Amino acid sequence: MIELIEVTKRFGSETAVDRLSLRVEKGELCALVGTSGCGKSTTLRMINRLIEHSEGEIHLEGRQVREFDEQTLRRRIGYVIQSTGLFPHWTVARNIGLVPRLLRWPAPRIRERVEELMALLGLPVDSFADKYPHQLSGGQAQRVGVARALAADPDILLMDEPFGALDPITRESLQAELRDLQSRLHKTIVFVTHDMDEALGLADRLVVMKAGRIVQQGSPLELLRDPADDFVASMLGGDDRGLKEAALTRVSERMLPLSPRLIARARVPRDATLHQALAVMFREHADRLTVVDEDDMPVGELSLRRLVGARRDE
Amino acid sequence: MSESTFARCPAAWTLWRAPLIWCGLLLALAFGMAALEPLFRAVEPGSRQVIYPHAEFLTLLGRHLLVVGVAALLAVVIGVGAAVLVTRPAGRDFLPLLAQAASMGQTFPPVAVLALAVPVLGFGTWPIIVALLLYGLLPIVRNTLAGLQGIDPSVLEAARGMGMGGVPQLLQVELPLAAPVILAGIRTSVTINIATAALGATVGASNLGAPIISGIVNGNTAYVLQGAALIGLLALTVDSAFERCQRLLGRHGR
Repeated sequence: MIELIEVTKRFGSETAVDRLSLRVEKGELCALVGTSGCGKSTTLRMINRLIEHSEGEIHLEGRQVREFDEQTLRRRIGYVIQSTGLFPHWTVARNIGLVPRLLRWPAPRIRERVEELMALLGLPVDSFADKYPHQLSGGQAQRVGVARALAADPDILLMDEPFGALDPITRESLQAELRDLQSRLHKTIVFVTHDMDEALGLADRLVVMKAGRIVQQGSPLELLRDPADDFVASMLGGDDRGLKEAALTRVSERMLPLSPRLIARARVPRDATLHQALAVMFREHADRLTVVDEDDMPVGELSLRRLVGARRDE
Repeated sequence: MSESTFARCPAAWTLWRAPLIWCGLLLALAFGMAALEPLFRAVEPGSRQVIYPHAEFLTLLGRHLLVVGVAALLAVVIGVGAAVLVTRPAGRDFLPLLAQAASMGQTFPPVAVLALAVPVLGFGTWPIIVALLLYGLLPIVRNTLAGLQGIDPSVLEAARGMGMGGVPQLLQVELPLAAPVILAGIRTSVTINIATAALGATVGASNLGAPIISGIVNGNTAYVLQGAALIGLLALTVDSAFERCQRLLGRHGR
């Protein structure tokens, strides 16, 4: 659990973060979103004290971060940055084992942990352990970055635009992997990004920042349905935010049981999003879809009226 | 892929061939200079003595190496040490000062340093070591600064963010990453100083400069050639050895 209370950071006369209060619950992924220079990275870096805050209190599991020894604190917090920051003269295995080595784990335990993490992140030990960072693709390097951050099994993970430098396809697959990892590991994650789609897709709690302050926070759906002001609305994509909401809702949440009416020809999987269902309707020129399960068996139907959430389905 | 891996790890002999050949030639010449007497006789037919007689070439070579080595060692310790200090948070204020001081060191001609050092340190080996030290500092300081400042900031950010302390970060990350650039500076410094050390003979230091100075004073070209050839071979040996070390060090850097 991380708690920031009235935290302010000034650089000279400039106020980067202004009386910010934020609570990130255990096991929650909290995304800080905002335009460049809104103080989101500064906020993140104050948590592991790469930047010292000027005023206010930052608590980590009930203790102020200032009470910790800097290095002890950082070794307990995983840290992932956009440009990976892998040590170019160290092999992948050595890079991943950095924090356990700083913590003086015995060598066999480090080796075991490194292999475990490489397996977890889809990096076959045989082909990657002895590679150097310059031999990796961007996506592989960032996987190593994430593995390094997880090495000493920290409860907290700070991620500063971790996928910002990757191509869209690699980015999406790493986002999916992070979602998958998080569903198994339940870390407390603070995730900085300026990519709203990334934030919407990953976050349990979305925090929109502007000029060092929080404009609005809540679950992605709460923000999409009820943005506090025009800034939040435009950050969420303006009129497009309806589609983004559709992308966060599953077909199974809106479908109705199969009716005795003629079964619709166009089909959509049950676990597709409403956004995908809408695309299928558009493509098939249909206003009604048959919802199918994993084995392609019809399990329900979805009409356009039902999809858009019109009051009654008639 | 496999080809470039091969190119990075050549067999020891292939790697060290050039320095070993130069070293062999150097030692052969230092031992067997007398055997070349007919050649030098042809160069200097008017002189009675054509092989420098006052000391063994091997002794001169040893003293030459000693002077350059001591100066290089001091220059590395002082130069790298100073550059490391001014790139730490505590010493950052002195960074511009050090960069300027090192630049000024090289605008000073070594002869002038010798002239100034003799009244203080007397004749002999010490003035030349001081001159070489001052003269050799700049490339080392400049390259150490460039090497340390050229490290990808995200690497340092990661090192700090992972909870590495200042000293482990310096020893395990910064110096290894800056090493190829630092080594290039040491190489420049040492190679220049192998030639510059010959000036020591003018203030009474006995090294490979002695035959050259003696040859110039007595009008004996053979002496000059003997000193110059040995200095040239020594410079080639050391320079190519450094080049190999750089190649070994630079394997994984970018």
